[in-house]
Amino acid sequence: MAKPLIQIDDEVREMTDEEHNAFKALQTANAEAQAEADAKVAARQSALAKLAALGLTTDEIASL
Amino acid sequence: MALQTFTAGQVLTAAQVTALQANDYNQTVSTKTTDYVLVAADKGTRVVMNSASAQTITVNTNLFSAGDTLFIQNIGAGICTITAGTATVSTAGSLALPQNAGGTLYFTSAGVSIFFPTVAVSGSQGLTLVKSQVIGTTVATVNVTGAFNASYENYKLLISGGVSSTNASITLQLGSTVTGYYAGLASTSYAGTVTAASDSNAATFTVAGYASTGGISFNTDLQSVFLTKNTIANFNYAQTATGGSGRVGSGYLNNATSYTDFTIAPSTGTLTGGTIYVYGFNK
Repeated sequence: MAKPLIQIDDEVREMTDEEHNAFKALQTANAEAQAEADAKVAARQSALAKLAALGLTTDEIASL
Repeated sequence: MALQTFTAGQVLTAAQVTALQANDYNQTVSTKTTDYVLVAADKGTRVVMNSASAQTITVNTNLFSAGDTLFIQNIGAGICTITAGTATVSTAGSLALPQNAGGTLYFTSAGVSIFFPTVAVSGSQGLTLVKSQVIGTTVATVNVTGAFNASYENYKLLISGGVSSTNASITLQLGSTVTGYYAGLASTSYAGTVTAASDSNAATFTVAGYASTGGISFNTDLQSVFLTKNTIANFNYAQTATGGSGRVGSGYLNNATSYTDFTIAPSTGTLTGGTIYVYGFNK
């Protein structure tokens, strides 16, 4: 299977094995970082929704 | 015709006189297509750089004398940077010449010169194009070299045009550094919901821009990127998808490394087309 293309200035070519491994590692690290950040956002949104369900107003929630 | 040294009693030929006269009205031109180091014979002539990629013209000492001048101009798409070799080169403008810019290099002594740029690259303008890079077809990463140098402390990176194969964030990596990226962005969805996006000691700036089949949105300012200080980044972009959001934020890279290169990549899929522009903020 062809490896992804890497561009260095005007040169476009298939990644070497070493570059492909580094690329995949970076993609994985980025995905994990974003999943962690997204989970924090989702947890906050969930907490805010629960507070609203308890009857707190937007201003009251913002003051917490 | 380069400057000649005539000796006492020498008989000038008509051709020599004509050539010298011609230089006043139609200056001797030498065109370069790769990095070039000035030589003594360039005195009084016009040195033209014509290259699609970035090149340099280096100025060394002990080749010219006080009062000597020559004209340097760039007609190629690649940035031509006048570089101080063993001589000093000062300017009130920029030593990085975009296409169709130029100016006079004037020597105050054998090792000291001043570059007087044309208005197009004078310090009065806010931004100077340092480098542009066309993005290829279905590329997973784009590495731009020689983007940052000592001429500027702060830069703007813009992508104009282009698409991605699928909805994706655009990541930004400086040099080969894969740790220490911190960022926080406010994200307001087009439906009005406010959320956040962030990086905490990430391997890149993971949310520096956005790409989709509808276009690429990438507009990042970098401060101190070439200096041996933390690099500060400011992001401002639109997610080009109907369910997306507008995002504004900032961050920094937690090290004191001086960078010359950067790499952008979609978080998934590939990029096709568009142009990356690197501008330097004039001091």
